[in-house]
Amino acid sequence: MISIANLRKVYEDNGYEALKSIDLNIKEGDLVCLLGPSGCGKTTILNLLAGLLDPTSGDIKFDNVSVVNKHPKDRNIGLVFQNYALYPHMTVMENVMFPLTVGNKKTKKSKAKEIAQKYMKITNITELADKKPGNMSGGQQQRVAITRALVQNPKVLLLDEPLSNLDARLRLKIREEIRRLVKEIGITTIFVTHDQEEALSISDKIVIMDQGIVQQYDIPQNLYLEPANLFVAKFMGNPIINIFEMKKEEDYLKGSDFSIKLDKLDKTRVKDDFNKSKYIVGIRPEYFKLTTPSLFNAEIETVELIGKDRIVNFTINGEHSKAITDINDKVKENEIVGFDIEYDKIYIFEEDGRRVY
Amino acid sequence: MERFNNAVSKLFVVIMAIITLFPFIYMLLASLMTFQEATSIPPKLFPAHPQFKNYAEALEEAPFVQYFINTIFVSVVSTFGTLVTSILSAFALVKLNFKGKNMLLLGMAALLMVPYEVTVFTNFQTIAQLGLINTYTALIIPSLASIFYTFYLKEFLSSIPISYYKAAKVDGCSDLEFITRILIPLSKPALFTMSILSFISGWNSFLWPILVTNEPEMRLLSNGLTSFATESGSNVHLQMAASTLSVVPILILYLIFRKQIIRGVVRSGIKG
Repeated sequence: MISIANLRKVYEDNGYEALKSIDLNIKEGDLVCLLGPSGCGKTTILNLLAGLLDPTSGDIKFDNVSVVNKHPKDRNIGLVFQNYALYPHMTVMENVMFPLTVGNKKTKKSKAKEIAQKYMKITNITELADKKPGNMSGGQQQRVAITRALVQNPKVLLLDEPLSNLDARLRLKIREEIRRLVKEIGITTIFVTHDQEEALSISDKIVIMDQGIVQQYDIPQNLYLEPANLFVAKFMGNPIINIFEMKKEEDYLKGSDFSIKLDKLDKTRVKDDFNKSKYIVGIRPEYFKLTTPSLFNAEIETVELIGKDRIVNFTINGEHSKAITDINDKVKENEIVGFDIEYDKIYIFEEDGRRVY
Repeated sequence: MERFNNAVSKLFVVIMAIITLFPFIYMLLASLMTFQEATSIPPKLFPAHPQFKNYAEALEEAPFVQYFINTIFVSVVSTFGTLVTSILSAFALVKLNFKGKNMLLLGMAALLMVPYEVTVFTNFQTIAQLGLINTYTALIIPSLASIFYTFYLKEFLSSIPISYYKAAKVDGCSDLEFITRILIPLSKPALFTMSILSFISGWNSFLWPILVTNEPEMRLLSNGLTSFATESGSNVHLQMAASTLSVVPILILYLIFRKQIIRGVVRSGIKG
């Protein structure tokens, strides 16, 4: 449906290279999230897809037809902005009808109204028709903005951080609604967010971006379970993964407090030989186990209770580390406890971030 | 001490108000006096019998009705022209990106510093060379565009989120449609203030009309009034009646729209 090849964007006014080289293929009907920290280029991709920016080089194709030289209005897209961009002087009905009453796709007012009403029914905003955007809640405005984007029956729906202006509870509700809606209509949807939980919960696939490069494009659970590189491993997961720099000495990766014996690793997961002198080991907080006999002992500094889990903080190998334990494990502050690690669940990266295990 | 300060400041305000208002009130009163009353020494403050016929006489002595029509026509057309040019240029300066935009802005800002009187002579030369002396065109053309109002509107438009423009683009809206359907409705308050200020300055303009017109039927109120003052010689009471006539419409306009005018002046810090 959408294919992006070698896409590069340098902003002319300040020379900032927002996108280095992007290649992506998005299947028809998929809901894909562009996820990454701010400044990673995700909104730039969205604007390039919408035609609000011109790429420096590279190509974008919708259904095998290049759209790079097409005007936004001819690209058959719907776009929802972070601040919704609802025209404050128009009622909801007028806002939804607006795309049908301008430009060369102008339709008769009665026909436009009919189409608007049809979509307003789908998104459940019929009763808001005569309200002005200023008198509505954020969630309602959001729904109106999506309706306006859908009213031209576009092939692609682009959403730019659509939930960031909503409060936490509403965010959960609206994101479910968005997924239900776009799946019902079957429209290909691209969703920009910096919230990983949001991305994980609604997407079919996720594009993780950093520094103008796609770090990983995969189904949600793979990003968490099989990160392609150090950046993805660090970005996904909360609390964040524990990172240890370790030296390779013979059959061990050595740290000051504990070492990892290479024999204990799962052979099927090894992607490359361990021939470098330094490695970075990533261990998610849930893969530290409280056991005796232990791999290492650590003094617990603080304990936080989060729902059914306890997060314990300690310092090991010179790094502040976190482990998640069950609420029933009665760990106290200042207590010294023994930990082991689940060898088949840890990750090992080279210094440049490439994953080798 | 505080009460004393309060009293002093109130007294100050009262004195200033009297100084400002007295000429205006005296004009009203004198316009209702007879010739003797208006010129008597020591001067009288109140007419014994209000002479409303002064107004009728003044209107007969000079073609004030023509002056009124001229003034309204010129002010309305130039206000309308200013609105159109300011909206288009402010839109371009705020929402569009083009080469040399910053240089253009800088140049325009520099032109704002040039006093009006400096450009009057070149403007006059241009109009004279074009053979437009004594025409409405000459009266209107120089005030069809205003850098001041363009900047004023530009500031206002900057506060309208760019996402409206982007959203409209994606919806297939042309620039002109965006201006008429979205920009103008959203900037109504600013446009309103602009129109009033521009209309008032058109009404009060003096130097330019007196330069480019010399036939009585082309005069505007302001210079019609001065020529009336010289032509009618010492008929002070009639001059006062004529002055009142020329001030009253703009005064009414002010009273109706004072909120918008004050807001406009406060916003811009200066009056154009």
